[in-house]
Amino acid sequence: MFKSLRDKFTSFKHSVGKAVHKKEEAEEIEVSSNIQISDLPTTKSSGPPTKLISTTTEEVTDAQKTPSLSIEKEKMKKKEKTKKVGLKDKAKTLILKREAILDEKDLAGPLWELEISLMEGNVALPVAEEIVSNVREDLIGKKKRIFSNTEEIVEDALKDSIKDVIRNDGPLFDEMISTGDKPVVILFVGVNGTGKTTTIAKVAKRLIDNDYSVVIASGDTYRAGAQEQIEIHAERLGLRLIKHQYGADPSAVIYDAVEHAKAKGKDVVLADTAGRMHTDANLMRELQKIKRINSPRLTIFVDEAIAGNDAVERAKQFNESIGIDGSILSKLDADARGGAAISIPYVTGKPIFFFGVGQRYEDLIVFDEDWLLGKIFGEE
Amino acid sequence: MILNNLGSSLKESLRKLARSNKIDKRTAEELVKDIQRALLQADINVKLVMKLSNNIKKKAIKEEVIEGFDAREHISRVVYEELANILGRGIDLELKGQKIMMVGLQGSGKTTTTAKLAKYFQRKGLRPVVICADTFRPGAYEQLSQLCTANAIPFYGDKGNKDAVEIVKKGLKEKKDYDVKIIDTTGRHALEKELIAEMEDISKVLDPDHKFLVLDAAIGQEAEEQARAFDESIGITGVIITKLDGTAKGGGALSAVSETNSGIAFIGTGEKVGDIEKFDPEGFISRLVGMGDLKALMERVEESITPEDMGVEEILKGKFTLKEMYKQFQAINKMGPLKQIIQMIPFGGFGIDITDKDYNKTKNKLGRYKVIMDSMTDFELENPSILNGSRIRRVAVGSGSDTNEVKELIRYYRMMKKALGAFKGGKITGMPKNLMKMFGRQG
Repeated sequence: MFKSLRDKFTSFKHSVGKAVHKKEEAEEIEVSSNIQISDLPTTKSSGPPTKLISTTTEEVTDAQKTPSLSIEKEKMKKKEKTKKVGLKDKAKTLILKREAILDEKDLAGPLWELEISLMEGNVALPVAEEIVSNVREDLIGKKKRIFSNTEEIVEDALKDSIKDVIRNDGPLFDEMISTGDKPVVILFVGVNGTGKTTTIAKVAKRLIDNDYSVVIASGDTYRAGAQEQIEIHAERLGLRLIKHQYGADPSAVIYDAVEHAKAKGKDVVLADTAGRMHTDANLMRELQKIKRINSPRLTIFVDEAIAGNDAVERAKQFNESIGIDGSILSKLDADARGGAAISIPYVTGKPIFFFGVGQRYEDLIVFDEDWLLGKIFGEE
Repeated sequence: MILNNLGSSLKESLRKLARSNKIDKRTAEELVKDIQRALLQADINVKLVMKLSNNIKKKAIKEEVIEGFDAREHISRVVYEELANILGRGIDLELKGQKIMMVGLQGSGKTTTTAKLAKYFQRKGLRPVVICADTFRPGAYEQLSQLCTANAIPFYGDKGNKDAVEIVKKGLKEKKDYDVKIIDTTGRHALEKELIAEMEDISKVLDPDHKFLVLDAAIGQEAEEQARAFDESIGITGVIITKLDGTAKGGGALSAVSETNSGIAFIGTGEKVGDIEKFDPEGFISRLVGMGDLKALMERVEESITPEDMGVEEILKGKFTLKEMYKQFQAINKMGPLKQIIQMIPFGGFGIDITDKDYNKTKNKLGRYKVIMDSMTDFELENPSILNGSRIRRVAVGSGSDTNEVKELIRYYRMMKKALGAFKGGKITGMPKNLMKMFGRQG
């Protein structure tokens, strides 16, 4: 997962790098005509090349504290190979004096590529546009000494921009369970077939492992086989399931489960609901009623990581019509590109708690932004 | 509705095009970029979008604009053709005895679709049976058996048996008298090797006539790879797109169709068993690009109108008399109800809101004008300038109208002539627009 995004970002960094290098070369040529007149004297004050270059990088981009020397050296080598030795010192002098300023024109191509890559990684269009425009603002007009590490500047801009989009300052899932009155009621909502029931089983497993007592409410009284499905999960996990008949009012089922939890001193109630289209006003009102009656501590929106642009649309509408506290993304194991993990927090402003990564109960992993960024930018 | 945002984005970008006959490179590039965006937002695979947009760029610049179409129409035709290429053919699902295997990712809607499909065949007078070979997901057996019971569809399953291949074998034997056998299978994705192997085994034993890949309309860029894996493994013969009743645009599924080189068989549009539609590729793309039913329009134009009908020859020679105008009126009538025609013209009738009232007014006016022209002599039609007060009075009496109306017709004719003089080319679409404008002003 995220492999394709990672590859794409690497190529984006390179293409901005390339754009800048072209510019650098152009400027070198331009300046080389009047080298002898003004620029040569400064050569004396310059120290060893690598050290100097690293200091200039620090000057230019404060945020970037650890310029990678090895990359600098490699680049130097490349440059040296392509130039006559006699020119080397002159070139260095130029480098110290000259700066390349990134402008709209340099970036237009690479930024468009970046936007496409984001979309290829399943990031929804409006979110991809936001990220790209942040990166653009961050980079344009940035003064950059020639040979300072373009790619790192770019990567930082990109990372910051994605961080802005997925930032979550709210409490973590575990914290929300451990604090507050018992029983903690958690309501699971989402469109059809995104994996609500399976996710409930996985969350239940996690809670049991953390020594919480759990009861499940079979709130999907509509879909054929839904009750049997969750019943089997509850049986396998050794949990009490509260259910009514098909066609029963889901609010009442969940209410009974909460009452049961209160009576038996259970810690957590996990409430399933029937999948529904966010465009179905009546079914969304049903969810509002469920919330009104049972006032869940958490309402979790379950969606699949393989969803494309529509993920944004439905997350937004679920959030607007019933209000969600966070999301869980399922099916990340299906070679998902993970763009939804960026899009959904962006449109809802709510965190992602977990990813579902397989068919077993243990296949639930905790989401945090550093983990995601590591996945996207890391080496795997 | 299916893919309808794409329509407005395309509309927006095409609006930028000047109404000219030539498309310069820069305009084409900008336009293609906009189209790319729109297609990507509809979840169409990035590689496919790039290929498509390159073709569009090439064709838009190179190909000659067809007579009677302006640049905008030309490009939408190019876009349409390119989309039609990816979409492939429709699926020819014969109404006869057959075996159908349903495959797909988890939660894509296989089980519901299985029941829907059985109901579809039942409505067509065949006797379907459904076999449950999903031995993995809890509740799968109950889901399908409940759906079948509720909808009087024969069902076979073996609860507790974990061997899907054996279930299929037994089911085929036991239910061999039924016409259409539809087999529901476990949801799986391309990386689950054991499940993929199981699917291959089922396919071998079953030897299905159709292997339908069921895809959620919301699926994004992964659709292509998943579809490829399924196709390589068992060979997909058709795609069914589910959950199109939400806001998902189905572009991922379209990419899957292109990847598997198959076609879309059905679309699912709701939770009820009856919510399934046989798929019509042409209508689908039309909705996809939001350009009206351009194909139907083009067909209708081709079927019903020859250049002679429109008086194109004469108009190109700079001749435009009441006779030519009369021909155009007739040509429009030949194509069918005006409202339908205008709706088939791309971009929602040129971006102006046309109300039913306007349609009727325009339609009535056209009818009246024809009657008035019928009361003119051939000489008058050929030489409208000789229509003086006395002739106008005669025509008005003859056609049961009044002199003001005849004068109005002459004014309209002069306006048309002037407009045609400005861009000599006999635009099909130019006329209704001018008509609308004129009557809009008067109304």
